[in-house]
Amino acid sequence: MQIRLRNLKRNYASLHAVDDVSLDIPSNTVYGIIGRSGAGKSTLVRLVSMLEKPDHGEVYYDDKRVDNLSKEELIKERRKIGMIFQNFNLFSSRNAEDNIAYPMEICHMDKEYIRKRTEELLALVGLEGRGKAAISTLSGGQKQRVAIARALAVKPEILFCDEATSALDPQTTRSILALIKEIQKKMNLTVVMITHQMEVVRDACDRVAVLDAGHIVEEGPVSDIFASPKSDVTKDFLSSLTNVQESIVRWSNDGGHYTLRFRGSTTDEPIISSVSAATGAVFNIRAAGVQNVNDEELGVMITDIGPDSVTAEKAVRLLIEKGVSVEEAE
Amino acid sequence: MDTIMSFFQSTMVTLVLQATWQTIVMVMLSTVFSMILGFPVGILLHVTSAEEQGGIIPHPLFCSVLSRIVNILRSFPFIILMIVLMPLSRLIIGTSIGTMATVIPLSIAAAPFVARVIESSLKEVDPGVVQAARAMGSTNWQIILKVLIPEALPSLVSGVTLTIINLIGYSAMAGAIGGGGLGDLAIRYGYQRFSPSYMVSAVIVIIVMVELIQFIGDRISAHLMSRR
Repeated sequence: MQIRLRNLKRNYASLHAVDDVSLDIPSNTVYGIIGRSGAGKSTLVRLVSMLEKPDHGEVYYDDKRVDNLSKEELIKERRKIGMIFQNFNLFSSRNAEDNIAYPMEICHMDKEYIRKRTEELLALVGLEGRGKAAISTLSGGQKQRVAIARALAVKPEILFCDEATSALDPQTTRSILALIKEIQKKMNLTVVMITHQMEVVRDACDRVAVLDAGHIVEEGPVSDIFASPKSDVTKDFLSSLTNVQESIVRWSNDGGHYTLRFRGSTTDEPIISSVSAATGAVFNIRAAGVQNVNDEELGVMITDIGPDSVTAEKAVRLLIEKGVSVEEAE
Repeated sequence: MDTIMSFFQSTMVTLVLQATWQTIVMVMLSTVFSMILGFPVGILLHVTSAEEQGGIIPHPLFCSVLSRIVNILRSFPFIILMIVLMPLSRLIIGTSIGTMATVIPLSIAAAPFVARVIESSLKEVDPGVVQAARAMGSTNWQIILKVLIPEALPSLVSGVTLTIINLIGYSAMAGAIGGGGLGDLAIRYGYQRFSPSYMVSAVIVIIVMVELIQFIGDRISAHLMSRR
């Protein structure tokens, strides 16, 4: 199911939590919405998932407008979407399988069907035989798996993930993301993933929108955004990733005036050598590495260029000509 | 001498047993009625509160008016409330004296307390869980019956325990205006007739009852928690 947002606005007191957001979230993709805390992510997801009504603007699921529904219609429409949360939000009064059964119970589905579907879902998320487990006995990753199973119980066409991996360790995060991707393909879901972690976008999303101060500052396929980020916020997110990313080796903590990003075929060519030969520039490489984004290789290099600013400028021009994205630190 | 002693003792035992039974009946009935009155009010107080406090149907005006009424009822000293409600007991039960007549003011006195206890139990429910239930398309009734109450159950059981113990205390006070039960026994025999043995036995029975209720309540609550 395709989701379209048109000029969404939502204010709290004098704060513009979401200010004029328009987005097209295509069907059958994993769509990331990334932003710092306070950027308006949570409000945006509440608006898109019909938990809150916008002050202004429209939300469409396919061609159906959903931001102005009556109470009864709203409840009907909500039963067609799935949602998972940072804190899992499972019912502690119910065990794993009764949690998964809840959305079916409230739709008054047949008991025998609920039992069979619950088994199916437990198997889907890799928790066979754990149905009777009390929630408090499960690990964070298992809790999120139960939450995913619960969200998928009514066979939704949209799955919202609100910071779904933020409370998990990196390893569990990867396994949960892998599960979400697998399920997305299996069920042709539209997954909307709200996060503040660039690695989540890198590992799981097809497209991404960058949210800052209630505005969308950048939007596009994840590999494009990683290869040539335009806004400062995006660059910030990417630099936080290059600092922690294990595939990038940093052998000097000082310097690094330029960040070069290579994508696709440019990662295979001896670009630095040829630029150096052509312009006489000297490269002092501070950090470099390659990461895999959406099955595409992206190279990152943090370097100083010398010996003087005129040569450096020439080198940068040549690099850009060769398809390398160059960012200069202030 | 021996025969007099045993006669006296058996009278006391009979009286204490009788009074204990009256207290149990009073407390049980008024627990049930105060729950019937207070439980819905407690739920209303919670669900109509502001969204930030976990209200699912926020209605600030209704909530604050209801809250005021509950506070006013709670401010009444119990002894005054009993006297004020005497005509009501006469209307419903047909008399304003005796064990049954006491149940009316006891229930009404405990109801606002119950409402607050229920409200505060429901406030402890994780708002994220309620949000999840809402996102899944639960109706308000489903949120109340399938989420709020089950999630708050261990805390609700503690609240009921607290109510019963409070009612035991209130019911003893009711003895002062002819309500029957252990309080009545302690006042009429123990105080007015200067028989410390009656006073002591009434107090001991009340202590045992309170301990027992607290113990059972704690066990049920702990059992519910252990299954989570």
